[in-house]
Amino acid sequence: MKSQILKNNSKTINNMNNTIKLFSLLVLLISFGSCTTDDDNTQSSLEVETNTVSNLYAPQQGGIDPNTGQPLPVSGEFIKFDFATGASTTSETDWDIAFRGSTIIVNGGESFGATDEPERTGDAAVYITSGTMASVQLVDTSLFIQDSTEGYAITTGSGNGWYTYNPSNNTIAPTPGKILVFKTRNGLYAKVEILSYYKDAPSEITPEIAANDSRHYTFNYVYQPNMGETSFE
Amino acid sequence: MKKVALVLITIFNLGFTNAQDSLITHELNEVLITATRTIRQLSSLPMPAQIISKKDIKSSNSVRLNDILNEQTGLTTVPDFGGGEGIQLQGLDSQYTLILVDGVPLIGRSAGTLDISRISVGNIKQIEIVKGASSSLYGSEALGGVINIITETPKLGLKGELNYRLGTFNVNDISTTINYKKEKFGINTYLNHYSSNGYDLNDNDNLNTVEPFSNYTLNTKITYDFSENTNLLLTGKYFTQNQNYIASTSLKGESEINEWNSHAKLSHTYSKKWSSYFEFYATRYKAKDFLNEDNGSRFSNSFYNQLLMRPEIRATYNLNAANNFIGGIGLSHETLDRTDFTIQPKFNSPYIYLQYDVDLNEKINLILGARFDSHNKYKSQFSPKAAIRYEISNKLAVKTSIGYGFKVPDFRQLYFDFTNATVGYTVLGYNAVNTAIPKLEEQGEIANIVVPISEFENELNPENSVSINIGLDFKASPEIKFSLNTFRNNIDDLIDTRVIANKTNGQNVFSYYNVNRVYTQGLEFNTTWKPSYKLKISGGYQLLFAKDKNAEKAFKNGEVFARENPTSPSFQLKKDDYFGLYNRSRHMANLKLFYDLPQWNLDTNLRGTYRSKYGLIDSNGNSYLDTYDDFVNGYTIIDFAINKTLHNNYQLGFGIDNLFNFTDTQNISNIAGRIIYGKLNIQF
Repeated sequence: MKSQILKNNSKTINNMNNTIKLFSLLVLLISFGSCTTDDDNTQSSLEVETNTVSNLYAPQQGGIDPNTGQPLPVSGEFIKFDFATGASTTSETDWDIAFRGSTIIVNGGESFGATDEPERTGDAAVYITSGTMASVQLVDTSLFIQDSTEGYAITTGSGNGWYTYNPSNNTIAPTPGKILVFKTRNGLYAKVEILSYYKDAPSEITPEIAANDSRHYTFNYVYQPNMGETSFE
Repeated sequence: MKKVALVLITIFNLGFTNAQDSLITHELNEVLITATRTIRQLSSLPMPAQIISKKDIKSSNSVRLNDILNEQTGLTTVPDFGGGEGIQLQGLDSQYTLILVDGVPLIGRSAGTLDISRISVGNIKQIEIVKGASSSLYGSEALGGVINIITETPKLGLKGELNYRLGTFNVNDISTTINYKKEKFGINTYLNHYSSNGYDLNDNDNLNTVEPFSNYTLNTKITYDFSENTNLLLTGKYFTQNQNYIASTSLKGESEINEWNSHAKLSHTYSKKWSSYFEFYATRYKAKDFLNEDNGSRFSNSFYNQLLMRPEIRATYNLNAANNFIGGIGLSHETLDRTDFTIQPKFNSPYIYLQYDVDLNEKINLILGARFDSHNKYKSQFSPKAAIRYEISNKLAVKTSIGYGFKVPDFRQLYFDFTNATVGYTVLGYNAVNTAIPKLEEQGEIANIVVPISEFENELNPENSVSINIGLDFKASPEIKFSLNTFRNNIDDLIDTRVIANKTNGQNVFSYYNVNRVYTQGLEFNTTWKPSYKLKISGGYQLLFAKDKNAEKAFKNGEVFARENPTSPSFQLKKDDYFGLYNRSRHMANLKLFYDLPQWNLDTNLRGTYRSKYGLIDSNGNSYLDTYDDFVNGYTIIDFAINKTLHNNYQLGFGIDNLFNFTDTQNISNIAGRIIYGKLNIQF
């Protein structure tokens, strides 16, 4: 049962970091596990999964032309992510959320109609709440919204969704205190805190990094694999 | 450098040892007009006020208004886009301080800031600063305070003056004054030419921090005394400036400012009790600029053309020595023609005011005043004020004033319709929203509406404030004076911008709205000490807390988060982590030493100003300035000047501003570094 959680994300290569995190997790879970075995009458079977995804690269074509500053049509494949495997996927159906540039979509609702936007096949949804990963403990199912022809559930633009854009140095920073709470395509829950939009999550974003290393997501997430369980405890 | 310091120390030591047996001269009582619109002794006023004398301006060798104001307690200049500088007073932005020249306002706040570096100080008699809301006398803009620049009036005889100052960055300041007065007629003409090669703090780009510029000021004042009781004053001023305008390596052009002011005032004294003033003031401020592409084709053009006309009648009635009244009635007419505006707006605002100044007894002076401004575009404003001074003893007096101040929204906040050509965002004035948004929607540029148009049906409210000042003056001895003032400005309906719609190009549409409630509070301390007639030491300090009440609430409710570094997890901020408004320093201080050596016809001074750390941007993305943001470090600037008079009529000056060459190339664009200059003054 415990080995299940230790499923390694072969796609996420930030090994050093993950090893330490998983190790500490293991220690945590062993102590947790020993607790739960005492009162074995509960049905709750699967442990909550905590993980970090590093350098999920979500490129796009188009956007603001660096020479003219004029916006160009955006295109390119969305990079899909599956909470159940903790990895990105090219599956047409088995994905929960997908990334392209600074845009994040969910596998639920309807297509907004952007170029190369995948069909929605599941029932995923999202809401953004204020707090820390530790303080967001319960899912408020009344808040979920899905993508639609009107726009994405995670609204785009600085300060509207998950990031703040700083025009003075042309950088995108995840807005502090924004926790993204997801419902997966099949009705499970996950919470996500995006940490960085730049390759290897540098602590200082130089103009070179801002120009060349963007669209690399690093985020923490907690996934509740038990159906109907709205708590992340 | 060390030698200079050594010489200075020796000089000051001499001064102290000589002080004991020197004669102590008592300063004449300084008078000012700004606080009450009547001539009053500075020392008897019930509200906080300050005078900067011509002598101080001259010995500091200041050339522009920003030079001298920056050295005053509680004032600091804040750079604006393109090299302009506005004044911050009691922690309030430049747009909330009314700037007057001889009692009438300057215009040309194209982006809210009035650039005080456009004002030459060569012909100034004194600068009067009144702190606290003063809309009861002056109406809009006098929310934080009033700065009134009093220029020289014609004096008897024929006199002239020639000034030249040359300094670092090839800053040339040349001016001449000619004064003539005989019997009834007097004239005073001042001509100034000021130019600079500009400077560059950042070598990484191809742009200069300040591009080269050159300007002229011509100021003429004519007085004619019809009789002892009837006097006419005519003032005309013209200012023109030309500056390179460089937007990038391929976009180059020029910007130009033309401003004129004309002011006529007829004063008549009917009796010991009654006198009246008929005044007419008109001013126009025109700015235009253009950018050309490399191939010479026009990339952009913009212009700004503002006109203000103001007739006013006022009368004073002195019932007796203890009871004085002043009242006035007038009309402000204002128009603006500007690029990116939906219409050519016209403002008309008749107004009336009355003030009662009474000595209740020998110890208590009370001032009660109120003004009513009617407006064709806004809610009319009633601005009362009360101030009281109680003289506890010859040495100690306490004073309190409370007043209402307001600032009507400017044209830009109402009628702007501007889309940035390179980035693509749009800014709409409040009244432009309901026509501009449907148009953008028609063109398919709107992705979704954030704030419905129906929210723009009501009028935008004037920003308003209630200010309280409580202070005391303490004259420890004829040589030592202290003053302390505590202040609080409670500002409501502050106008800010917000996103009202998202555009299909990924950018936003912004507009203005009344949202914020902010306060600034703190205390100001000033002291002067004149150990001898040769030496004057003055010092000042301001403590300031400037905060947004909604932000305070958000911190208190735990709604604000931050990260230690950009990629660490967020954590919740505490109440104390809120720093306050941008660009406000908690501590500002100055210390000045003026030392005269009459035996050598020398005067010298050393002036230091300090500003503690302040924040310019929210660097951690939570939209508030908190203690985890990047701050501009505190700094001190030391200026030194020495002047020698030869044969009474010639004066040579030398000085170094910013002695230790302080710069912060990233954050402070208006501090150019060390400036070494020489000066020549000839009187004839």
